[in-house]
Amino acid sequence: MMALTLQYQPPAYTLVEGLRESAQVSTVRRDAPDGWAREELLLRKLGPKGWGRVYQFQKYYTSGWGEKGNVLSPKALDAFFRFLAEANFPADKSSPSVFLTDGGGVELCWEDSAGRAIQVEFTGTGAEFYKEATEEEGVVTFEELSELSRRLSA
Amino acid sequence: MSDAFPILIPDRLPISISPCPIVEAIFEARFVSPQPWATMPGLLFAQIRERYPEQKTLPVAQLPEEMRRQDANLLVLPLIQFLSDDFLIQLGPRVVCLVTKPNAYPGWPTIEQELGWLLERLKSAGFIGETERLGARYIDFFDGDVFDSLRIGLQIDDQPLRGTPTDVTTLLRRDAVSIRLHLTNGAIVAIKEGPKSGSILDVDAWFGPLDVDLFENGLTRFGEAHQAIKGLFFGLIKPELLSKLNPTYE
Repeated sequence: MMALTLQYQPPAYTLVEGLRESAQVSTVRRDAPDGWAREELLLRKLGPKGWGRVYQFQKYYTSGWGEKGNVLSPKALDAFFRFLAEANFPADKSSPSVFLTDGGGVELCWEDSAGRAIQVEFTGTGAEFYKEATEEEGVVTFEELSELSRRLSA
Repeated sequence: MSDAFPILIPDRLPISISPCPIVEAIFEARFVSPQPWATMPGLLFAQIRERYPEQKTLPVAQLPEEMRRQDANLLVLPLIQFLSDDFLIQLGPRVVCLVTKPNAYPGWPTIEQELGWLLERLKSAGFIGETERLGARYIDFFDGDVFDSLRIGLQIDDQPLRGTPTDVTTLLRRDAVSIRLHLTNGAIVAIKEGPKSGSILDVDAWFGPLDVDLFENGLTRFGEAHQAIKGLFFGLIKPELLSKLNPTYE
């Protein structure tokens, strides 16, 4: 039996040799089953650039950063994914941009079909939005995200 | 049961089985904290020392912090253990869990009581911010190839694959609960008599950040995760295996 490294406690079980991971292949990334669905969603809705940025947020900013030791809010990130799942962006415009905010939230910006800006900031308590075309702005709870996503995507 | 859930959960579930196949049960909360890691073990230990007097630093704590922060898998690993006679508590910069002693499952009422106590102590320790994930994980061991005794398997050309080392992992959703089901007939566990090969049913059920707050609904969510795993277990096993486990009902 090969010894597994970095175990934080004796594992409850060990897979037999033939069922273990083979050598890592650098060109193939494997994620947890739920992680894969999210990555596919990011690629489909935000393109490779947006996917890369969110990957970086999750990889480098989940622990504290900056002078105040800010932390990427798990609720904000989850809200962002829920919103994204319902959102549709104009195909003739550039892909939406995604930012990490100073407060540990996630901000999504894109243009509607007339080229007017739409911004949504996801926080630990809900989401704030602004729609340039109607000069509408407001705050919604997590429960209202799907409805907001459909409304802003229309 | 939900229309989309592929496993039929029995209406009536046993309150105990014997022999109990549970090797280990883990109740985990992942969180973010405004506190630096260096202060967390002391804050927690001050709250739990009466029941968990012994502590042990885990090998992964020796890795440089920057390396742990950049690896998503390492980031959520505990770095220190606190031990009592019946349970252990594991703590890391992003995770805290209550773990049963190997092959000594004390039953849900005892676990629920300990979880309630731990949540109060964690609240007093004051270092937990937002909850990222809360869940339960049960690891069961069976002699031999358990695929024969379960309503799940792998097929090739519509024929069940039998007698070969097989490892199956899938993700199921049931309302707000995500369930990762891992099943293998090629595992080795350490039991009192020594290492033994057989099959493992490893089920992890959890709630995401928008559905849980450790101090508001944490205990209820742990109970729901436990119930989801229990239902799935009894929904998966065939009657022949169930009868060998001598179930008792209320």
